[in-house]
Amino acid sequence: MKVGLFIPCYINQLYPNVGIATLELLEKLNVDVYYPSNQTCCGQPLGNSGYENDAKGACQLFVENFKEYDYVVGPSGSCVHHIIEHFDVIPQTKKVKKIRNNTFELCEFIIKVLGKRIEGASFPHKVGLHKSCHGLRGLKLGSCSEKVEPYFSIEEELLNEVDGLELMSLNRKDECCGFGGTFSVFEEAISVKMGKDKIQDHLDNGVEVITGADHSCLMHLEGLINRNEQPIKVMHIAEILNNSL
Amino acid sequence: MSHSKNADIFNRNEAKVNWHDKALWFVREKRDVAAHKVKGWEHLRDYASAIKANVLSNLDNYLVEFETNALKNGIKIHWASNAEEHNTIVHQILQKHNAKNIVKSKSMLTEECHLNPYLEAQGIEVVDTDLGEYIVQIAKETPSHIVLPAIHKTKEEVDELFQEHLGTTPSNGNPEYLTNEARKHLRNKFLNADAAITGVNFAVADTGGFVVCTNEGNADMGAHLAKVHIACMGIEKIIPNEEHLGIFLRLLARSATGQPITTYSSHFNKPIEGNEMHIVIVDNGRTEQLSREDFRSSLHCIRCGACMNTCPIYRRSGGHSYDATIPGPIGSILSPGKDLKKHSSLPFASTLCGSCSNVCPIKINIHEQLYKWRQIVVKDVKQPFTKKVILKTTGWLMAKPKLFNLLGRSGRFMLKYAPRFMVYSKLNTWGNARELPKVENQNFNQWYKKRNKNG
Amino acid sequence: MGREAILNSIKKNKPELVNLPNIDIQLFDEEIDLVETFKNNVQLVGGSVAELNQINNLDAEIKKLYPKAKNIVTHLPESNLGTVSITNETSPHLLKDIDLTIIKGEFGISENGAVWISEDQFPIRVLPFITNDLVILLQKESLCLHMYNAYKKIYDRKRTFGLFISGPSKTADIEQCLVIGAQGAMNLTVILV
Repeated sequence: MKVGLFIPCYINQLYPNVGIATLELLEKLNVDVYYPSNQTCCGQPLGNSGYENDAKGACQLFVENFKEYDYVVGPSGSCVHHIIEHFDVIPQTKKVKKIRNNTFELCEFIIKVLGKRIEGASFPHKVGLHKSCHGLRGLKLGSCSEKVEPYFSIEEELLNEVDGLELMSLNRKDECCGFGGTFSVFEEAISVKMGKDKIQDHLDNGVEVITGADHSCLMHLEGLINRNEQPIKVMHIAEILNNSL
Repeated sequence: MSHSKNADIFNRNEAKVNWHDKALWFVREKRDVAAHKVKGWEHLRDYASAIKANVLSNLDNYLVEFETNALKNGIKIHWASNAEEHNTIVHQILQKHNAKNIVKSKSMLTEECHLNPYLEAQGIEVVDTDLGEYIVQIAKETPSHIVLPAIHKTKEEVDELFQEHLGTTPSNGNPEYLTNEARKHLRNKFLNADAAITGVNFAVADTGGFVVCTNEGNADMGAHLAKVHIACMGIEKIIPNEEHLGIFLRLLARSATGQPITTYSSHFNKPIEGNEMHIVIVDNGRTEQLSREDFRSSLHCIRCGACMNTCPIYRRSGGHSYDATIPGPIGSILSPGKDLKKHSSLPFASTLCGSCSNVCPIKINIHEQLYKWRQIVVKDVKQPFTKKVILKTTGWLMAKPKLFNLLGRSGRFMLKYAPRFMVYSKLNTWGNARELPKVENQNFNQWYKKRNKNG
Repeated sequence: MGREAILNSIKKNKPELVNLPNIDIQLFDEEIDLVETFKNNVQLVGGSVAELNQINNLDAEIKKLYPKAKNIVTHLPESNLGTVSITNETSPHLLKDIDLTIIKGEFGISENGAVWISEDQFPIRVLPFITNDLVILLQKESLCLHMYNAYKKIYDRKRTFGLFISGPSKTADIEQCLVIGAQGAMNLTVILV
């Protein structure tokens, strides 16, 4: 099994540690990982802004970069969701369909494809899980509070395997954090308010570290936390799982 | 004004935003409790969705069937292509009966057609009898929510309105007192009304009857006292068989307010002997929405408002920010179909979180339609030049790895080394309330190359 | 404009025919105590429930619950409390001072505490709304589980006017504070027998 590592553009530039943690974690799980260095962006920011036609080049470059691999794995629920849902904007060749059917978010890949457990990880902190919307409702990484369905959460399953980690409960289990891509800039007032409320929920429930499978959400929350000098940190789930493994 | 500008203004009063947000979240939570009590809830949604899909695919035949059956029972049927025709038809019926005092129960369709100002200009008094609608009527505002029209008003504000319009004594917003005063006042209106106008929650094709759901009983107090009852409905309110109400009425109130059913689900089939019952069937852009493959399922909407209660943006910006008769998520996929330019900001008033689609009792894929409307807005509505250029250029760069990486590295360099005042200038909207990320010494590409070199 | 234009527009724009689903009612079946669930739901929606062992005790029970009622309409042979007699010729406006109305309910629905009443049970449509208080007499055996069952029960009726009534009138339009007693009846008691 050859896995192509998909590092979202903003992780590449701004949060390389998340990419490093993802790669190291997969390798520790004995996965044969390759990193196509010509990757750029999945095109999501354009699609969400209404310019999906202008992202066709990005989509096609993505497919070219990853066509050789059995799976594509990336540490970002929203980017993976975009590839699966919105790569319908380019002609649906066999290559394209293969990519859309075999691209996975990291946690999902570990649980559903590898079926492996995380052994030996330790993170003795009070952690709050932020269930990013595209991962939760888009990729169904977990059950959501709106629906009447049995409870499950892929991220929680993994976090529960980490020694010393205490998963705290939130008041609003899966409300959006307010990032929403360009929404964060074009509807700034609401975006900021949603982020503030989200952070407060975590603080009210004793969380020390907010984690999740989407660093775009975490970047937005971190921006607010740092501006307001709040006593709480953010950390991508890959970094927690890879921690002292 | 665009949604974002309105939302910005709304957010200047953080206490009010918190109050509004909590009030609606509370309703969402009640809906969750109610839904979880129903065995087979998700199956109900599946059936509701499938029934409405059938309805739209056979809509003309169902409407004719409905008309035939209603006429047989002595109900008069009228058809209106647009809002103007609707208003004219209603007015003509009223004129025929020399009706000067009208009571009206909740009908978003009549809001859409701006019926009240039309009739008032003809010297006809129209009193909105749903308490929430009555409050916004005397406040000279529009409803901010389709089920809870006055959700944006504090009880103190209502108290002041009632002092002014009903002569109540100051009560610090005592809800029982104010509701009782409204009851007395509206009771007089019911007893003196010449005609009653109601909405239609469901119109049943196989019986020619229709159902009106209220908690207050105001639709019935109007309809059974006045000599003339006019019910206004959009074409999409049709359902095929009466038994299907056994699906929809299990979903409606639970989704809207968390009640198992509204107090009154009144089934009208025949007028009272000697009275008149009219139904006005209205298009007003619905057949056009029907033609849009990606958006036609927005016509499945049963007007429960659950999407508004769950929407984190609606809760923090209020219905008026949308500047549309129907606000919130469903309004944001209906309204662009009517006036793309006016409502071009609405599909962007969302993070596409998908919560709305999950609470929708009819499983309308609201968040997916929002995404699709964005592509159409960009195509058909003139976009700000700078934004267009930046996004199109970025798209072009995304297909060129070397240039894209250069752009990335330059951005990092700027962020890391430019002075703070430059980075956090007025142009940097992100920087208004948030810090930008701290930039590491190398990006992932560089780290990976180095690691490979070292073996 | 009008009818032809609308129907033609629909014909032109409607999608290809999609069949109606087959509704598998078993998906919603439950073994529950219909009476207890009904009682709980009536109370949940702001109504009250009284249980009678014997129908002879009906008037005594009602007098206990509504001692002050003066203008009373009864539309069932089981009660003699009526002080105002009405027929289907009575002008609805004359009912504005009715304190208490006592009618029979045809059947009840456990899942929501609703009762089906129709013009078979009350001769003037506005009566159950304009009355200040409302009492509905209901047979326990008449209860069914949910709304889909209910529509099977009323399938063969003469269709004029009827309603499902669940509790007294209410509103939460003033800051989401629930107020029992809006435009319709101020309170509702279901007497189970």
